[in-house]
Amino acid sequence: MNFAIELILSLLLLLGGSLILIGSLGLIRLPDVYTRLHAPTKATTLGMGAILIASMLFTLFDQGSLSVQQLLITLFLFISAPLTGHLLAKTAMHQRLKQIDKTKNAELIEVARDREAPNHSSD
Amino acid sequence: MLNLFWIPLLTLIGVFVSLSANRVSRTACAYATAALPAAALAIVISYAPSVLDGEHFVEQFEWIPAVGLELAFRLDGFALLFALLILGIGLLVILYARYYLSEQDNMPRFYAMLILFMTAMLGIVLSENLIQLWLFWELTSISSFLLISFWNHKSEARKGARMALTITGMGGLALFAGILLIGQVVGSFNLTDVLAQGDLIRGSELYPYILVLVLLGAFTKSAQFPFHFWLPHAMAAPTPVSAYLHSATMVKAGIFLMARLYPALAGTDMWFLIVTLTGLATLLVGAYMALFKHDLKGLLAYSTISHLGLITLLLGLNSKLAAVAATFHIINHATFKASLFMAAGIIDHETGSRDMRKLNGLWRYMPHTAMLAMVAALAMAGVPLLNGFLSKEMFFAETLQQGSLGALSWILPVLATVAGIFSVAYSLRFIHDVFFNGEPINLPKTPHEPPRYMKIPVEILVALCFVVGIAPGLVVAEILHSAATSLLQGETPYYSLAIWHGFNFPLLMSFIALLGGIVVYATRKQLFEFQAQFPERDAKAIFDQNIKRIVDAATRIYGTLENGSLQRYTMLFILSVALFTTVPMTKLINLEGARPLLPVDGISIVATIILVVSTLVTLIWHRKRMIALIAVSVVGLIVSLIFARFSAPDLALTQLSVEVVTVILLMLALFFLPQVTAKAASPSSVVRDLGLATLIGGVMATISYAMMTHPQTSIADFFIANSKTGGGGTNVVNVILVDFRGFDTFGEITVLGIAGLGIYKLIARMKLFMPSADLNGIPWSNDHHPMMLATVSRALLPLALLVSAYIFLRGHNLPGGGFIAGLVTAVALILQYIANGVDFMRERSKLNYQWLISVGLIIAGATGMGSWLFGYPFLSSWFDYFYLPGIGKFELASAMLFDLGVYLTVIGSTLLILGNLGALTTHARPEESK
Amino acid sequence: MLEISLKIVLVMISIALIMNTYSLVRGPSLPERILSLDTLYINSIGLILIYGIVQASSINFEAALLIAMLGFVSTAALCKYLLRGDIIE
Repeated sequence: MNFAIELILSLLLLLGGSLILIGSLGLIRLPDVYTRLHAPTKATTLGMGAILIASMLFTLFDQGSLSVQQLLITLFLFISAPLTGHLLAKTAMHQRLKQIDKTKNAELIEVARDREAPNHSSD
Repeated sequence: MLNLFWIPLLTLIGVFVSLSANRVSRTACAYATAALPAAALAIVISYAPSVLDGEHFVEQFEWIPAVGLELAFRLDGFALLFALLILGIGLLVILYARYYLSEQDNMPRFYAMLILFMTAMLGIVLSENLIQLWLFWELTSISSFLLISFWNHKSEARKGARMALTITGMGGLALFAGILLIGQVVGSFNLTDVLAQGDLIRGSELYPYILVLVLLGAFTKSAQFPFHFWLPHAMAAPTPVSAYLHSATMVKAGIFLMARLYPALAGTDMWFLIVTLTGLATLLVGAYMALFKHDLKGLLAYSTISHLGLITLLLGLNSKLAAVAATFHIINHATFKASLFMAAGIIDHETGSRDMRKLNGLWRYMPHTAMLAMVAALAMAGVPLLNGFLSKEMFFAETLQQGSLGALSWILPVLATVAGIFSVAYSLRFIHDVFFNGEPINLPKTPHEPPRYMKIPVEILVALCFVVGIAPGLVVAEILHSAATSLLQGETPYYSLAIWHGFNFPLLMSFIALLGGIVVYATRKQLFEFQAQFPERDAKAIFDQNIKRIVDAATRIYGTLENGSLQRYTMLFILSVALFTTVPMTKLINLEGARPLLPVDGISIVATIILVVSTLVTLIWHRKRMIALIAVSVVGLIVSLIFARFSAPDLALTQLSVEVVTVILLMLALFFLPQVTAKAASPSSVVRDLGLATLIGGVMATISYAMMTHPQTSIADFFIANSKTGGGGTNVVNVILVDFRGFDTFGEITVLGIAGLGIYKLIARMKLFMPSADLNGIPWSNDHHPMMLATVSRALLPLALLVSAYIFLRGHNLPGGGFIAGLVTAVALILQYIANGVDFMRERSKLNYQWLISVGLIIAGATGMGSWLFGYPFLSSWFDYFYLPGIGKFELASAMLFDLGVYLTVIGSTLLILGNLGALTTHARPEESK
Repeated sequence: MLEISLKIVLVMISIALIMNTYSLVRGPSLPERILSLDTLYINSIGLILIYGIVQASSINFEAALLIAMLGFVSTAALCKYLLRGDIIE
């Protein structure tokens, strides 16, 4: 494996590791549940992307083939991460969890419980 | 081709002949029933000449050779004698029962049970293998239970049958233990070997146990004191049954067993003491009690007990001559007792009563029957010129011969004479009270002679009593000699069957017995008054009380062990595990074995920390369910990471998928459970549980440490070496599952399918109330199926199915396989249930999960059976490599088909459980308030 | 160079895992705990991938794939439970 590839791999890995670390740190450090949602769903997912690319490159150069698993993992992660964030935000608003003053759209939390589903029919 | 197997087989077939003869007339039914036993009798007789010449026949074939069990039959002199008695008297009983049973009785059923019993008896006497003998022994207990309770509308019949079954069944278990011990000592269960190894058995230190266990079996069956009480209560049976069971068969089975094992077990002081004293006690108790019974059959029952005691006593004397006498008395008792029971049955049948206080002066009404009964009763009393006299004479002579009791040896002949006196007295009572002694009192029917054919069996038997009594040398000498020879497994001593031996002691004893009997009978009024002073002891009440006591004790023990508390069960379980593991652990000297420890790395430490922390969270917050559930998920995740780290990818995959299914299942179940978990009972129980947990945790940790540090030779090497060549796959785990241990897997998926169906059936009709708010009072969201989740989940389904197909297909060679793939598919479908709802799925998916389970099992089973077509055992796997242009070389293995069965069963079971557990409230949900 | 960066990344992920556990224990609300669990799932995927590079083997990638897929199902089910109680209706 030549130096250039090792360099690229190392950079990707370090980027990924840092983002993952930042995501987890944000989960602890951010002040309320709504802000905390941002950290793992955005930073960690991005970090995972970097690591997945590194892993794919490594497999490609090490074994000379592109394995399908990393592709599938990427697909799953990138589809599911926003959905996780969405569902958790929905749950948090449903439970009327406290927010800090800076969090916007606080009035939506009050009415979240009574909102009807968009596909709700009158029956 | 005639052989021994046909003898019990014919009678067994006869059971079905009788059962199917319910459309024909009663006489035809009787003839049809008699046909096959008659054929069996013909076979026995065809063997008779050679057997009488001293030959014996053994025929066998392997049945379960691994446990020394073979089907083996043996016909020697002793077995021949019994087979003749069983079949001969059996045929007479069949004829007799034709006229005895009334229109209301179900005759085919009666005959079927009688023939079944006959088969069982034949099985006992013809068995060469002891375990096989025991099987037939138990069959007699069961079929006699059915026969005694034939009139099952009568409470006393049911109770009597139950008592007989309990006592003889108990003895049967003891006998089985004894037989197993004999097998252990001799190394074979075959009679030929056992009888030849008598010295080995008697010399063995197990001999006392063997003797007591075998005798327990024999004594209970033969109604020996103190187990005699079931026999009088068995008199609730129809009289043909009594005539059969208590003359020639059931109770003689115990005698047969003692005689059969005589060469193997007899000859010791222990044998002498136990058998002789039991026989003596039985002889006296039976003879004495018989006199005071007012019930005709009750008298005969106790007389039977007494005569069985006599035979037992003879067998116990350890003298060859006594054994000959015992054999002779077996024949004589069978003939006169069967005819007496039949006569009693006729009297009962024609007068409607068996009470001797009412039955008087029947001579005038039924002289023919009276004549027959009197002759038989005189034979029972031991009057000269009848068969009973001869064997009783031999018995008296034998009691005089023995000297094992030393200076007290005179006791035996004296007590024997006393028993003889009572025997004469009750025989006299049977004759005088019933046929003379004034006029009948208040009989329900006017007595008259029975139908002609009902008397024929009695006539035949009474004629035998006569002929044997007058010309024993002509009639029984040969068969007696042959039977005694095979009983003793050696030469019989000289004995004479003559009627007249000159004036001697036995004759004097007979004379005393006759005179004494007449005196006792003459003074019966005084004796009855004397006996009336004693409170009547009802054996049934005592028996019921004891049974109740046993049941109560069992219930108490059961109640303490199983009081319905899960904590209790867990505690007992953990305690016993700790007990059984700590004891061997103390013998392990070096805890640390020779294997070096692996180096510690950072990630492992981190994983351990997370594992410990999340376990603690689960424990501490176990009452806050959601937190505990989340923490448990972490534990599962870390465990699967550990599996992955130590190269067990299959385990990791399985753990991951099982984990998610479990969490979903828990959430489904938690929803219906009370929202608040109860607090632990008391601080002391917390301390106790903590102590227990620490103990078992410490023990398990120590064991694991010892196990993992000691080098082991495991079977893993075999699997690794043979997985590719033998099973055609490189993934050893999968090859083990579908090939090496395929049969286990087949059993497991069957259990899984049954569990799925069972849960489905349990909850199918359950309508559960749905709480309208969660624990904190927050009402449920109005949004049943969040749109984002619903939409994305639909898109994920094909992707997930692709993954599962991929995992399934590569399973044979790389981590994966049917089980994991099945779980992945199931989880993917459950996601659709969660995101889109049951109705959505029902509209789109026509999958019937019960059907899926069946198809899965059928595929797996059919794959297994497929190997039969090629002449291989069940589930032998087949694989080969093929080449197709364009695709290349690929492998086809039957194991993949089997794995497909596993896959389908797993999907079916998981979804049957989860899908239906979730659907419980769907239709019964109360209207939600807005 | 690759070895060193792999080591650094492993340390980073380990710290992340510990922090996830901490935030799971701390909470304080259930959605935050679920979020921590989800992050734990994702970070372990990263861990497996890094180990794959270290050992130059793809044997455990299916495990990572299943974590990605099943972790999401688990999170969705937990959210559904908090929202509706009845997760399959």
